Amino acid sequence: MVRHTPESVWKHSPCFKSMNSVQNKSILIFLLASIGLIAFPHINHIPKAVFAFFYLLLSWRFIGIWKQNWLPNKPVIFLLTVCGLALLYSQYHGVFGRDAGTRLFVTALALKLLEIKSERDLYLITYLAFIVAASQFLYEQSLLMAAYILFVCSILLATLVCLNSTKLQPFTALKTAGIILVQAIPMAVILFILFPRVEAPKWMLFNEKHQAKAGLSDSMEPGSISDLGMSDELVFRVKFTGALPPPPQRYWRGPVLSYTDGKKWTQVKDLRFRPILDKPVFTGLPYQYTLLMEPQDKNWVFALEMPADYALPLSQNANYQLVTLENPDKRTEYKITSYPGYNTGAITRIEYKDAMQLPGDPSDKIKQLVKQLHGFDSTSDYFINELLNHFRKEDFHYTLTPPLMEENPLETFLFETRYGFCSHYAAAFVYLLRVANIPARVVTGYQGGELNKVGNFLEIRQADAHAWAEVWLENKGWVRFDPTAAIAPERIERNINIDQLMPGGIINYMPADAAQAAFNWLKQSRQLWSNIDYHWQRWVINYDNKNQSGFLSSLGITDIKAMLYWMVGSIGLITALLSWLLLYQKQQAIDPVVRLYNRFCQKIAKRGLLRGPCEGAKDFAGRVKIKLPEKATSIDQITDLFIKLHYGKNSTPDDFKLFKKRVKSFKI
Amino acid sequence: MNRLSLKERFQLSRFFSGEKAVDEPVKLTHRRIFILPTYRGLNFAILTAFLLLMAFVYNNNLVYLLTFLLASIFFITILHSYKALAGLVLQKGQSKPVFAGEAAGFTIYINNPVDVERFNLQIKLEQPESLTIKPQSKTCVTLYSLTQKRGWHTAGTVTLSSTYPFGLFRVWSPIRFNLKALVYPKPSLQERPFPEMPSTNIQKGFSQKGTDDFYGLKGYQPGDSIKHIHWKAFAKGQGLFSKQYSSDSSEEIWLNYDNAPGHNTEERLSQLCRWVIDAERIGIPYGFSLPGLKLSPDNGTTHTRKCLEALALF
Amino acid sequence: MQNDTHHLLDAANQVILGKAHKIRLALCCLIARGHLLIEDIPGVGKTTLANTLAKLLGLNCQRIQFTSDILPADIIGASVFDAKNLTFKFHPGPLFNQMVLADEINRATPKAQSALLEAMEEQNITVDGKTYPLPSPFFVIATQNPSYQIGTFPLPESQLDRFLMRIELGYPDHDAERLLLKGQSRHSLIESLPVMLTPERLINMQDAVTDIYVSNAVLDYCQAIISFTRESSEYHCGLSPRAGLALLNAAKAWAFMEQRDAVIPEDIQAVLAAVAGHRLRSGNNDSAAIVAPILAKVAVH
Repeated sequence: MVRHTPESVWKHSPCFKSMNSVQNKSILIFLLASIGLIAFPHINHIPKAVFAFFYLLLSWRFIGIWKQNWLPNKPVIFLLTVCGLALLYSQYHGVFGRDAGTRLFVTALALKLLEIKSERDLYLITYLAFIVAASQFLYEQSLLMAAYILFVCSILLATLVCLNSTKLQPFTALKTAGIILVQAIPMAVILFILFPRVEAPKWMLFNEKHQAKAGLSDSMEPGSISDLGMSDELVFRVKFTGALPPPPQRYWRGPVLSYTDGKKWTQVKDLRFRPILDKPVFTGLPYQYTLLMEPQDKNWVFALEMPADYALPLSQNANYQLVTLENPDKRTEYKITSYPGYNTGAITRIEYKDAMQLPGDPSDKIKQLVKQLHGFDSTSDYFINELLNHFRKEDFHYTLTPPLMEENPLETFLFETRYGFCSHYAAAFVYLLRVANIPARVVTGYQGGELNKVGNFLEIRQADAHAWAEVWLENKGWVRFDPTAAIAPERIERNINIDQLMPGGIINYMPADAAQAAFNWLKQSRQLWSNIDYHWQRWVINYDNKNQSGFLSSLGITDIKAMLYWMVGSIGLITALLSWLLLYQKQQAIDPVVRLYNRFCQKIAKRGLLRGPCEGAKDFAGRVKIKLPEKATSIDQITDLFIKLHYGKNSTPDDFKLFKKRVKSFKI
Repeated sequence: MNRLSLKERFQLSRFFSGEKAVDEPVKLTHRRIFILPTYRGLNFAILTAFLLLMAFVYNNNLVYLLTFLLASIFFITILHSYKALAGLVLQKGQSKPVFAGEAAGFTIYINNPVDVERFNLQIKLEQPESLTIKPQSKTCVTLYSLTQKRGWHTAGTVTLSSTYPFGLFRVWSPIRFNLKALVYPKPSLQERPFPEMPSTNIQKGFSQKGTDDFYGLKGYQPGDSIKHIHWKAFAKGQGLFSKQYSSDSSEEIWLNYDNAPGHNTEERLSQLCRWVIDAERIGIPYGFSLPGLKLSPDNGTTHTRKCLEALALF
Repeated sequence: MQNDTHHLLDAANQVILGKAHKIRLALCCLIARGHLLIEDIPGVGKTTLANTLAKLLGLNCQRIQFTSDILPADIIGASVFDAKNLTFKFHPGPLFNQMVLADEINRATPKAQSALLEAMEEQNITVDGKTYPLPSPFFVIATQNPSYQIGTFPLPESQLDRFLMRIELGYPDHDAERLLLKGQSRHSLIESLPVMLTPERLINMQDAVTDIYVSNAVLDYCQAIISFTRESSEYHCGLSPRAGLALLNAAKAWAFMEQRDAVIPEDIQAVLAAVAGHRLRSGNNDSAAIVAPILAKVAVH
């Protein structure tokens, strides 16, 4: 007789209560590792002090896994909390807003890490970690970041799995978490598509100080730049509905700089009050395209010259430049139609005045040059031609790293250094035309763009920034001239972004074919990635209220009620599918012999003779034969074959065939 | 499985104490499995609500996506929680008799007939016990229930539960089996000598044994009567044996309810219980009598069991 | 070879009337190299069955009447001093026979009983440090009187599973009883029986039984039965692994007698009551009733 004393029975309680077991150690390692990973991208987003504070506490806790008594006690935690709060206060005044909130949650997470007493604390930490993960997206929304956060989230979930299952290997926990995550994705996507996007009311938007974004500025000062370190940051993408314009026509119009003080070129100040001009007369075939602007801090939209049709919130200023009336700090899509051929017609008085402005009298040297090129005694066309030939024939060079020209940059460039990039040439060109009494101005913007062959769209990057000239000619209106084309025609005509490649030396040192192939491969994969990124930006990041209604109405979902129906319907469908997938418990594969025999039994069952689950085949046959004497032979044959096949040692495939045949032909 | 009537279906007790007690194996299906979010699950819902607010305020699509992902995980966890229990077959096993005050053990067999491993199940009668069941295997677990009084001890509801995978939901299934264990009286702590029996007392009524009734042989011990030595065997060189006769009552005792000391019934039963155990341990054949029951002197587990059962159910 | 068993059974049925199934089980037990325990009241033909089988199989048969004063040496034999040679000489006891009928085994003291049971298990006897093998085939039929009388020692439950099978003979039915009353004395009938199967053939048969094929399906069924007895609350004590082996062996022998080369679930069902009844220790003596839940609840595979 076994006696159980109550004490021995009640002693081992399996619950997760103490934090000392080996199992909990691995849970902590899991959790801390995932938290370390989750907070890491914040290195660029939060002040270094807060970041260091976070990782200091994290490492402290990490060491504490093995050295329990090194962990801080209550007063020390209190002290640390005060430190953390002081740190927060010194960095930022307030608790709302993206930056402040992120710092707050990161600090809170760090402090909570030091105080893990029960399972509840682990859950709280996990939830805080999810919030910190979400805060990463407020800073960066790239595909890579999303993939990274998804990965880290699966580790967090695996921590929860570990918490809820004893004796589970970490890898299995990770796998389980991953599987559930993958199963959740379809439903998440459905929710993402169908969940109504409503703009947050204004009072909820926190004013953030905008970080300056690199890009085209509203002024140009060629002599003061010695290194045009333009990045290959994306500015906008263009997808054409029809054919693409040839590279020489890809001029994306930005601000027009008319005023110069000899060094610096700027826009005219009162541009906003200028009357809106008549539309130019357009000729040629129109180009229709969708332009996806990356977030900007200026409201310029770089349309292909010359924009004809556009919709609100776009408008055109007096320099034919498109500007948006909305906040440009969000990625926005515009539909624009442009014509490559245009005639702007007559020049207004004020335009003429702007386009002839000079900072005092030109020097003799310049006048001499203009005269030499027949600036004062021939037609505008002739002079322009001469001038371009001058750039072409004389020893002028195109470079992205020109020498500095602090004093009188124009003359230094024209007569001494003769090294410059587009701004130098455009500025010099316009200046000389104005000296020759021809109205001209500098236009800045972007030129070219890289064709993404995979997605068939153009990508325009910061490195594509360009400056060219616009000259007013009788009967033609404003006509574009690009002096850079005279110096470096490949910059304009070829589809290679020479500016981008030259500094890296790729063009200069590209001898072998093999290297060329490698380069092409590199380029293709880069384009593929760009294409993915384009769709990511367009369909995921930029999927706002407007995009949503556009997309949904193309599916026939127009009102909120339909949206709701669709949401409920598709979630129901996914749930049904998943339940089937998860809960359908596969029956063990039935031996074909048994299956056939069961069929035989079913045939007999029609006559009311049921085989019990505990009845052997032979007994059953004996019982049936009494009731169905006329079938005795075939019942015996089938039963014998079944016994031979199922229980016997030497059954052949022929036996099975025969058995199959007999069962099939058995009629009752 | 028999069908439930509408009234039974909506009985609240079904959620906590299970359906009416059964003997047959029980397969866990949607009828017996219940799911509710845990406290942690509710907090998780609050977390997703917070993230949704964050996405809304910043109009950030990736935060939206993360929110929806977490919400979907929350939702799908319901299915996974259900899967943690679904398809298990519980079957009650035997229970062994115990003495009052001890914990009665009830064996429950849990069969996992499918290809899914069951992690961290908790099975609880009075104290929770956690177990993991491999795919296509069977485990047995013994659950203990403290007993107080002698007689039949019935155990209540066995609850099988799990919070797998994330602890956001608790899935449980209350099952009532006819779990019965016999509880013997608690043996008295006092060691008292066996009652002395006047031999006439036992001769009355049921014993036909006389001095001549040959009973058996036992190894000779010094002091045995020479008359009783089995000389025949000794002559064959088989050693010394003593013949035993059934009137040899010196090695036989009677445990009688009326002779048991004690102020009340329970104390007397308790003392009898002690005597039975002691007598069995020493190996003296003992007769046993309770009002309405008499068991002739014997030894062995079956005899002990009969006596103890009689005490338990008296 | 199996035809011989048919003739043998037919002949036996002429002597013992209306007990065809029991005789069949007894023969099956013999072929499976097991020992048989017959538990029934006196006078139903336990001894007749043993004698009939011994005669038909041409085995030398010895009956040991167990009494309360029987000693182990009375069963296994003893070393006796030989005055002529001045040495001890071993005189084999009645156990050194191919068939031993241990009558009323429960009348003997446990010491004598265990001497028999040990010999059954070991198939040899060790006396004074010397081992003497028992003859082959060796078959014990023990009878036990179920009514507990004063001065009996029922076989301890743990010893019961040394017997492959336990059967009850029961009263003959009406017709059999009539024939029995009308016919000649059983004793003379047995005397006139021919030997139907030589001991050598019997050993061949016993060897052939081990070659009977057992498919996985049957093993599944067998295991299902074993685990059912262990898990069900209907039994105090489940079947031991030894019981499982015994069940399979008996089923093989049954299949052999049914002229099959592989075991089918019906074979197991046929021998189940006899093999498992006494091992389940349920206090009930009716083997068929004991195993009824198994037959009704364990599905065949």
